[in-house]
Amino acid sequence: MAEVQDILVLFQTTPGLDAQVVAWSRYEASKGPGITDLVEEAEPPYRNAMAAMRDGWQVIQMSEMKHRPPGDAAYEDGPLPYQTVLSRFNPMVPDEETAQ
Amino acid sequence: MSEHLLSATQMAQFVASGYLKFEAMVPRDLCDACLVEMQHNKGYLAVGTPFEQTWPKGTALGDAFRLPQVRGLIHSLVGPDPLYDHHAAHLVKGGVMKGPDMHQDSVIDFRENYFDIQLSLFPADTPDEMGGTFLIPGTQFRNVRTSEITMYQHMRGKIWANCTAGTMYVWNTRVWHGARSNHTNTDRYMYKLRLNPTQPQAGLFDLSDLDNPAVGAALNTNHGWEGNEHRYELMRRVQLWRFVSRQPGYDIGERFLRRREYNPAAA
Ligand SMILES: [Fe+2]
Repeated sequence: MAEVQDILVLFQTTPGLDAQVVAWSRYEASKGPGITDLVEEAEPPYRNAMAAMRDGWQVIQMSEMKHRPPGDAAYEDGPLPYQTVLSRFNPMVPDEETAQ
Repeated sequence: MSEHLLSATQMAQFVASGYLKFEAMVPRDLCDACLVEMQHNKGYLAVGTPFEQTWPKGTALGDAFRLPQVRGLIHSLVGPDPLYDHHAAHLVKGGVMKGPDMHQDSVIDFRENYFDIQLSLFPADTPDEMGGTFLIPGTQFRNVRTSEITMYQHMRGKIWANCTAGTMYVWNTRVWHGARSNHTNTDRYMYKLRLNPTQPQAGLFDLSDLDNPAVGAALNTNHGWEGNEHRYELMRRVQLWRFVSRQPGYDIGERFLRRREYNPAAA
């Protein structure tokens, strides 16, 4: 069976690989082209990126420190500030829906 | 009316978490009639017109959103004479699955000392497996462009409607939220109504418990996702609390807003 790239994104509020995970997303192409039924998860799959690395995930992007604009604009909120992108190759699972 | 106004503690919870939940807000028989009307929902009414003038009268939905307890809630947040913004009867049919759906409604919105509210009525019992709307409490100060946050599939602090018929949620329209899969065979409705204030949203709730220590505790809530952002979120909450409670000097704890405001050299 062909190996396909899976992506795990861990979102953090500080940039380090040991930072706490506050949000997370899976792009597991080996299982299909997208999630059709999102199952609730109370906790992230790993407490931080380093725990994921110890489970075979490769870091393909880590966050760069942000420069803040001077003045009050530095206080503006937006998306979560930092993320780590991890990759792992897994065997392709045939997808019944996409096979049609 | 005044007995149905939000307390200061409830208002502080709304400022911090961006939502409040009220069980048994609408009686069950009225809910049943609302549910029938929802199934024949037509499009928007006249956007941006006075709610009292535009909202239908002599219908179940007309009555439900004019119940004294609903009026008190509306008054507390957007004043007694809000504008109708829009409404929708959101339906997730039985067996319809939802993937990632996190979004912020409408378009990005930077208005200061301002918020619209959305009232969400669940007209039927909505157990967990029926997929009630989810919210990420506390995200209302984080401006993003509508659906780009669908990339956040899971987030700490997520809650979702899991409630009995007649439960109403009221929420700041900027709270990150979305729909969930309906694993039952029964269609799931959520009726939402968005309202705009017509006056500054200051001093509209019951101010008699302003000094309750629960106010500061509510403002300081950690919902689980804030992490290193928590003190920046707290500053936003305190700024809004100053405005809605008419206390321009209010702050708590280390008083982070002094880092912006206290400077003898600038005087
Ligand atoms: Fe929405």
